[in-house]
Amino acid sequence: MKKFFSLILLIIIVVGMIYTIHQIPFGKNQSKIGKYFVANGKDETGAANIVTSVVVGYRSFDTLGEVTVLFLAAIGLGAILTTTKKQNHDIEKASLILNTGCRFLFPLVLLFSAYIFIHGHLSPGGGFQGGAVVASGFLLIYLACPGKRINKVGNTISESVGGLIFIILGAIGLFVGDRYFLANFLPKGELNTLFSAGIIPIIYIALGFKVGSELNSVIDKMMEES
Amino acid sequence: MAKSSVKNESSVKNFLYLFIFMMLIWLALTSSLHWQELIVGCVVSIVITFFLNSNYQPLGLPSLNLIKIFYIFIYLIVLFIEIVKANFDVAYRVLHPKMPIKPGVVIIKTSLRQDIAKLILANSITLTPGTFTLDIKKDKLLIHWIYVRSENIEDSTKLIGARFEKYLGKIFS
Repeated sequence: MKKFFSLILLIIIVVGMIYTIHQIPFGKNQSKIGKYFVANGKDETGAANIVTSVVVGYRSFDTLGEVTVLFLAAIGLGAILTTTKKQNHDIEKASLILNTGCRFLFPLVLLFSAYIFIHGHLSPGGGFQGGAVVASGFLLIYLACPGKRINKVGNTISESVGGLIFIILGAIGLFVGDRYFLANFLPKGELNTLFSAGIIPIIYIALGFKVGSELNSVIDKMMEES
Repeated sequence: MAKSSVKNESSVKNFLYLFIFMMLIWLALTSSLHWQELIVGCVVSIVITFFLNSNYQPLGLPSLNLIKIFYIFIYLIVLFIEIVKANFDVAYRVLHPKMPIKPGVVIIKTSLRQDIAKLILANSITLTPGTFTLDIKKDKLLIHWIYVRSENIEDSTKLIGARFEKYLGKIFS
């Protein structure tokens, strides 16, 4: 009897989902705003990557909020994980293979992350992805060289400077050009070259530093507790 | 006075080494010779080199010249051949109905001094199926072997390490 009921329930769910989903035309652009972004994104923001033109062009205020959420998450984690007792574990040294490999790869990881956030307006990627790659590089060092810690002051400075550049650029937009917060007041340049899209690449570089430092501080707190 | 100038020269050399390495990777990533990409690549490489150069030198990367680059190519070919050979060997052991394996852990010695050379040797041994580097302690490598032919250190060094070490020694001399 139980099986019979679950079978009927399953059939109802499946029929209901098919009935709902088959009315949505697959692969077609439904929303007007999406069509608008695709048609005008390149000309209005100068970014060859449409996703970037939305994330840092049309909706950059939203992105500022996202960075703030990440910042709050890092602070919250710090508040939860802070313990008064300092335990001293015996740290086992990582093997020479891991240690050497990580030290060899670390500059390459940083270069790759810089490539990702500098080319955010041209190719897939951007500040968030680049920042995550930076943090993965530091995580490698944490795992391979136990006892090494990031420079906390430097980390905080790069985070603050990244956030400040974002907000200051937005505030300048209030007075120059179109006069709204985060207006793109710099020249847009030639499409699909590195120096194009006005303030978008600068914001993405700042975001890369900010997200990278935020994730670094999260990793640092986690490793301190482990 | 003379000593410090020698030191300066070598530090400039080290700086250039990592800088050129970074620049080559940047060119490979962007695959473009546009002047804007080159300028930004230079700036990024200089910044990374400036901060990380002092950590990078103790790795003991080889100074490159034409002969060494030639040996690197030879090494890659040798490595490829060894990997193919070892693949067939392991496939034979897997498919044979009696499964002729004799697994065990052996120690081999290496005469390579640089950390990066030991890393490449260890990874080459791991890449060839049947042998697997577990750890490195000073000049000894701990290796898991699918068919232990010899428990003697000298003999297993000859069988596992020597084929790679011959060329690595030339590259890292």
